[in-house]
Amino acid sequence: MLACARLAALQQLEYRFNLIADTLIQPFIVSLIEMTIWIAFFASSGQTSLAGFDRSHYLAYALWAGFISRVSTSWMYESMMIDDVESGTINSVLVRPISFFEYYLGQLMGYKVLTTSISLIAPIVVCLFLDLPVQLSRLPLALVLVFYYLVLVHILSIVIASLGFFFTRVHHLTVAKNITLWMLTGEFFPLDIAPEPFKSILIALPFSSAVFRPIGYMTGRLPVEEIFFGFISVTCGIAVLGPISILMWNAGRRRYSGTGA
Amino acid sequence: MTANIETHNLSRTYETYRKPEGVLKSIEGLWARKTEFKTALHPTTLRIESGQIVGLVGSNGAGKTTLLKLLSGLIHPSSGTATVLGYKPTSRDPDFLKRISILLGQKNQLWWDLPPVDSFDLLARIYEIDRSIARDRVHELSSILHCTDQLQTQLRRLSLGERMKMEIIGALLHQPDVLFLDEPTIGLDIIAQTTIREFLAKYVRERKPTVVLTSHYMDDISLLADRLLLISQGSIVYDGTVREFTGKAEARQTLSLKILNPPIEDIQISGQFILTAGTLAIRQELPAHSIGDVLHALMAISPVQEIKIEEVEFEDVIRSFMEKDARLRASRRTPTA
Repeated sequence: MLACARLAALQQLEYRFNLIADTLIQPFIVSLIEMTIWIAFFASSGQTSLAGFDRSHYLAYALWAGFISRVSTSWMYESMMIDDVESGTINSVLVRPISFFEYYLGQLMGYKVLTTSISLIAPIVVCLFLDLPVQLSRLPLALVLVFYYLVLVHILSIVIASLGFFFTRVHHLTVAKNITLWMLTGEFFPLDIAPEPFKSILIALPFSSAVFRPIGYMTGRLPVEEIFFGFISVTCGIAVLGPISILMWNAGRRRYSGTGA
Repeated sequence: MTANIETHNLSRTYETYRKPEGVLKSIEGLWARKTEFKTALHPTTLRIESGQIVGLVGSNGAGKTTLLKLLSGLIHPSSGTATVLGYKPTSRDPDFLKRISILLGQKNQLWWDLPPVDSFDLLARIYEIDRSIARDRVHELSSILHCTDQLQTQLRRLSLGERMKMEIIGALLHQPDVLFLDEPTIGLDIIAQTTIREFLAKYVRERKPTVVLTSHYMDDISLLADRLLLISQGSIVYDGTVREFTGKAEARQTLSLKILNPPIEDIQISGQFILTAGTLAIRQELPAHSIGDVLHALMAISPVQEIKIEEVEFEDVIRSFMEKDARLRASRRTPTA
């Protein structure tokens, strides 16, 4: 698995411009858009706080949401996995003594470690510059939860890639999934401002561990217990999706014809 | 001798569907698709001994690659069983995968964005080969293949021939006991074909792996293989030595030429075909041994220009072989007076 992590790092470092666009430009634009929405909201509503938190808390949340959400998504590797199944490139993995799951999880983790270590410099600098309410000492534990959540994301990607064995082209499902996760993770807005019962449901789902729980913890919205609950929630998600992914993968492999390879 | 590869009634059928032409039919296809099943490999029983080099020959779509994919565990069989080195290929046992290698001539298996030297390092880790041993093997193989200078160039920037050499090094790095080579020289120029062919011949002579090789080129087969399997429409139609095959198959060539003076009446040419009156251009498939006599006969009729002699398509060689084989079987069944 370490070898695959190294492979991902090597591949990313081959293309400098793409690396900068991926790690800094893209998340910065997302953060800028979301911060602008919150600035507009507070300016036009005349409110000084929302759900007990002031403007600076929401700006801090929006700033970190752009960067943490890029850590907790895997659309790039999911697309590569789907392409592998569709084009038959998967053969080069299947004939080697490594599992498809391990091969891509290793790459995903290697890629995330490399890009996150570059990417997070930006929000840290902005937070210090604008004096936003973020406890950076909480960042390591928050990141551990996000990286653990990546295992669940990867299992979800395996489920979607497995569908490629049956339907060949399933790329748009990735897009639909990402849009859904945009809301479920708390990237779009802090989940605790949603009305009940949606609030409780959204927070209880493992997807809240991608953005809402780690940033809520860093910005003081949530206590450390919520991070631990996040680990439990993600573990439950893995326990449910894991067997489904194995069943679907095995069924897909039996059907696989290797066409195009 | 022990068998490294054994199959019993191994077959594979693919599900596909037929879509009639047009947008309306495409819309109809959203809810109603006429699926059909295509048999890529009919039930096949095989036994390949340890150290044997088997050439698997057939036209496009004959079932060669399907058989290789089944034996390497890439695809599951529809029926029957296969064992390779005592393992069931589809189980993907790591110990099995460490002892085989498959080289797909039309697919990159190394990493497109990396220089080969990084890919080989990664492969060494995946196959748990000591890195210094792996480096020595890469050096040795790249020296023989004359590609040491390209080891540090990104794979995507290499020529097709150079890429294929790197793919071969990647496939042989863990010194597999069973090697599946699917069209290793396809698309390469003559020089690259010869280099790779000679390298593989030397490698299999020295290391003695069991090899199953598919190719469109008879040169690949004749140089490397000591056993030939001829596959046609998903069935093995010949299993024997290369020498026996070439002896049985009737070598045929296509003769194309133009004559300056057309005959005024139909003429029988060397017992092979009738040259009809007024004909100027001739294109005729003939037994290779008769080409000289036919040319001689034609030149006696008229001056000849634009002579072209071509090897017939491989599928035609197969057809010729099968026709001759069928004739032989029929003659054996017919009692002599």
